[in-house]
Amino acid sequence: MIVLETKGLTKHYRVYQKQEGLWASLRGLMRREYRTIEAVRGIDLQVERGEFVAFLGPNGAGKTTTLKLLSGIITPTAGTARVLGHIPWKRENAYRRRFALVMGQKHQLWWDLPAADSFRLHQQIYGIERRQFEQTRDELTTILGVRHLLDRPVRELSLGERMKLELVAALLHRPEVLFLDEPTIGLDVVAQYSIQQFLKQYQQKYHTTILLTSHYMKDVAALCRRVIVIVAGQVVYDGSLSGIMHRFSRDKIVTVVLSDGRPAGELARFGEVVSTEWPRVKIRVPRPQVTEAIAGILHSHAVQDLSVEDPPLEEVIVEVFSHAELSPRQSSTGAGVAKGRENSP
Amino acid sequence: MGRAFRVILTCARNSLVRELMFRTNFIIVTAASLLWVCANIAFYLLVFQYTPSIGAGTGWGRSQFFVFFATGLIINSIVHSVFMPNADLFSERVRTGVLDFLLVKPLDCQVLVSFERLDLSTGGNLVVGVALLIFSLIELGWVPGVIPIALYVIYVVCGVAILYSLMFSLAATTVWLGRNQTLYDFWFYLTIFGRYPMEIYRGPLGLPLRIVFTFVIPVLIVVNVPARLLIRPLYPQTLPEWGLPLFALAATAGSLWCCRRIFQAAIESYRSASS
Repeated sequence: MIVLETKGLTKHYRVYQKQEGLWASLRGLMRREYRTIEAVRGIDLQVERGEFVAFLGPNGAGKTTTLKLLSGIITPTAGTARVLGHIPWKRENAYRRRFALVMGQKHQLWWDLPAADSFRLHQQIYGIERRQFEQTRDELTTILGVRHLLDRPVRELSLGERMKLELVAALLHRPEVLFLDEPTIGLDVVAQYSIQQFLKQYQQKYHTTILLTSHYMKDVAALCRRVIVIVAGQVVYDGSLSGIMHRFSRDKIVTVVLSDGRPAGELARFGEVVSTEWPRVKIRVPRPQVTEAIAGILHSHAVQDLSVEDPPLEEVIVEVFSHAELSPRQSSTGAGVAKGRENSP
Repeated sequence: MGRAFRVILTCARNSLVRELMFRTNFIIVTAASLLWVCANIAFYLLVFQYTPSIGAGTGWGRSQFFVFFATGLIINSIVHSVFMPNADLFSERVRTGVLDFLLVKPLDCQVLVSFERLDLSTGGNLVVGVALLIFSLIELGWVPGVIPIALYVIYVVCGVAILYSLMFSLAATTVWLGRNQTLYDFWFYLTIFGRYPMEIYRGPLGLPLRIVFTFVIPVLIVVNVPARLLIRPLYPQTLPEWGLPLFALAATAGSLWCCRRIFQAAIESYRSASS
């Protein structure tokens, strides 16, 4: 069942083009020049109930703007969207009761008060029945290990603790759709892992549809089977995470553990030597030549061990971003969108 | 409606808890605002040492003026306690993008924005205002009946509503301006005209001001109407005198309507700050 659908979703902003210098600033008082920023350019999406989808893209790609459009915070310049049967920017209460938004860089809990007081306010705003409210609050705070922090002023908590409580606040009304905008930004690995595990468990239990933006590939790899890559306001890839590797990674990393004394430099003829920590040598080999390279290495060297793997995910993603940024117009009609849905659940 | 009221009560409770956490700050701000009120009262007492009334034959003697002053104090302390912190917060939220969270809540955004915070440190002024009002009425020997008191309360609410509308219309402009640091200054410049009885606005300079601040930006009727209703029964009444309360009701409705439209237009234009 499709819970979220967009067609040609577009958002343009007109911004003041500030010129450098005092004279230009004075001139700007009388006459200003504006330019249009195309934050989101014709995004077409369909998300099924219970999917956990990651939005990937460089800074300014339009990920957060898309989430803001879908949560009705801003209105689009063009295009349509329906989430749970509602048009988000109509801001109907019937819709706003069914989704939640968490932003890693903004907080909604009252800064000087304990989270328990903000939770009570949420209960009133969402009209949550008392027993359900207490049950949900206790369940979520126990899973996240923050139950003992409910009575401490939010300003005295660490970033990780605060983020966990922000998540609890957002989930108190049991939303069917959850928009997460970089929920683990700035957190240490322990807090990141804890939030990842929580989201995984929560999504499995309640089948919530979740859209996540994150720059941490570990979040994405741990949680999302479907990835949507947005660059310059357009979707350039929609499919599984492994599909990105197959589609965009042009190389493989061959790691060889040598057992003879022959110089590692000789391996350069099979590919680019990435690192040498004798006797371990890593070579980047173009995908089509991997078989040939392995045969050659085995023939010319005494090899104790050999393995072939994909390059690090971050590296591939950087490649996807830079490739898409170089040719952003290519997929303006949607024709250039790389589809990998066959690999997605 | 019931849910909105419960939310407002919870916000008030949270604000109270928050204020009491910073006890010293609360005491200092309360003392400072009381000092300001006392300085004002002392100033007007000094003025009335030199003149029996504000303008000859206007009816605004010392006690009458202090009824007017007390009414202004009551209205302004309500506005400053309830709406000023929220107007400030709204501007800040627009600038930082934290308004996003209020827009996704299943409650009228204007209700949340208007009542979320409560600054009780200016509440002391309200107590002083009520005390001064009672004292001045006693001094006048005037014991108002139920109807004048009811009308007074209604028109105090109207006055608060007019000032609220003006304040939030100004605050809403932050959405277009991006930054509105002069909100309080601008608010002060406009409302200062409503601090004195209408009768002072006479002649070629006063009359245009009286027209503008009665019919265009109706700050002049905010205090004048409830204060006059309470003390004017002592004096002969004319048709224009009764036209003013009727106009005040229309002005209140008009102000709230304008404020609502400006606020909604602002929210439609809201761009949300980058995260």
